[in-house]
Amino acid sequence: MLEGAVLARCPSCRNTFSTDHPGHQLCPVCGKALVVPEPAPAAPGALQTGLPEGPGTPWERRAELGFWRGWAQTVQLALLEPGKLFAAVRLDKGAAQLGFAVFTISVSWALGQLLEALLLRGQRERLRAILGTLSQDPDLAPVLQRMIQTQLEASSPGWVIGLALLTPVVALVFLYLNAAVTHAVAALLGQAKRGFAATFAACAYACAPLVLLAVPACGSIVGIIWVVVLTSIGLKVTHRISTGAAAAAVLAPYFVLCCVMFLVMGSLMMALRSAAHGAQGLP
Amino acid sequence: MIARAGRPSLHAVALAGIAMLLLAAAAALPLDAPPLSLFFCPFRAATGFPCPGCGCTRAFHFAVRGQLAAAFYCSPLGMLLALTSAAHLLWTALRIAGLPYAPALQLTRRARWAAAATLAASWLFVALRNGP
Repeated sequence: MLEGAVLARCPSCRNTFSTDHPGHQLCPVCGKALVVPEPAPAAPGALQTGLPEGPGTPWERRAELGFWRGWAQTVQLALLEPGKLFAAVRLDKGAAQLGFAVFTISVSWALGQLLEALLLRGQRERLRAILGTLSQDPDLAPVLQRMIQTQLEASSPGWVIGLALLTPVVALVFLYLNAAVTHAVAALLGQAKRGFAATFAACAYACAPLVLLAVPACGSIVGIIWVVVLTSIGLKVTHRISTGAAAAAVLAPYFVLCCVMFLVMGSLMMALRSAAHGAQGLP
Repeated sequence: MIARAGRPSLHAVALAGIAMLLLAAAAALPLDAPPLSLFFCPFRAATGFPCPGCGCTRAFHFAVRGQLAAAFYCSPLGMLLALTSAAHLLWTALRIAGLPYAPALQLTRRARWAAAATLAASWLFVALRNGP
């Protein structure tokens, strides 16, 4: 018997399942025979360097720790000791990871909206008035007009209440789309070593800094940047890949966009320069 | 490749739910009214060139109406994503109903290069069609 269940992967159907004993057994998914090897003896300090399968994050053990304690410890670990948190992740706890991310984003966003409404009411009204005047300016570019219109509509009380009710759904969709894009890029780079569940765990716990959504004004910007950094750390630990590979998987889409933007800007500058030279009759 | 498999995982079901949501939104929401008309691409606003995802909203809009040529014209990547979403939704529903098979994709080096080339080709197509 093993000390607690471990995850095994069937070589035939490639499905992952939980088992509490090594040796010969049948895959519960496809029914084919397979051998689960004895686990290697854990080296001292294995928790810090990464176990084959983690013991579970505080949130995944909230049944024994309590809901709030499990949540607070998970957020604390994510913000201060992310390596330790991601090393403890259990990949078969996808529902718990989803619950953590949706709960954290929804509560923080609702709290942030409430605080913003209370603390920044004066500034918000002034901003609304300025944006309202600007949006009627016919000289303004259509894109800017549309941005201002969106901002105006999104800050109206009806939208705020509607968004608050929809936040859990939006958070769920955002989380899965983010995980899907990250996983697709990681797979393209050949770095998705342990399947979608590992990417999802990294993306879900990387949402912990979004508690900063509760901080009015600058909280969301800081939180989003922190999410990107934590996602890289999470991918590195959950997929057991190098730091560079994890950073590449997370940052590749932004990097490609930036490269193309510089390429386009450079081409336009060259075209403008040659046009200017042509107008002056220079070679 | 198709392999024997059990019930779909939570992630497979959730992704199927999101696929259904996206396809339903594409079917129900008009392109020229909020909220879809309020969407804009910051990359395109800054550079004048489309990003790899530009045109996907319109591609979904046409794909759910069966107008695949129009969807392809808007964004080949968007059309592929819409078709993949529909296929995943259908297959997951069948697996929930008891189908014991699932696609088992082997992501070889060649497959990865092919995917990257498809992505780049789609982007080039949209950029050439919608240049500044």
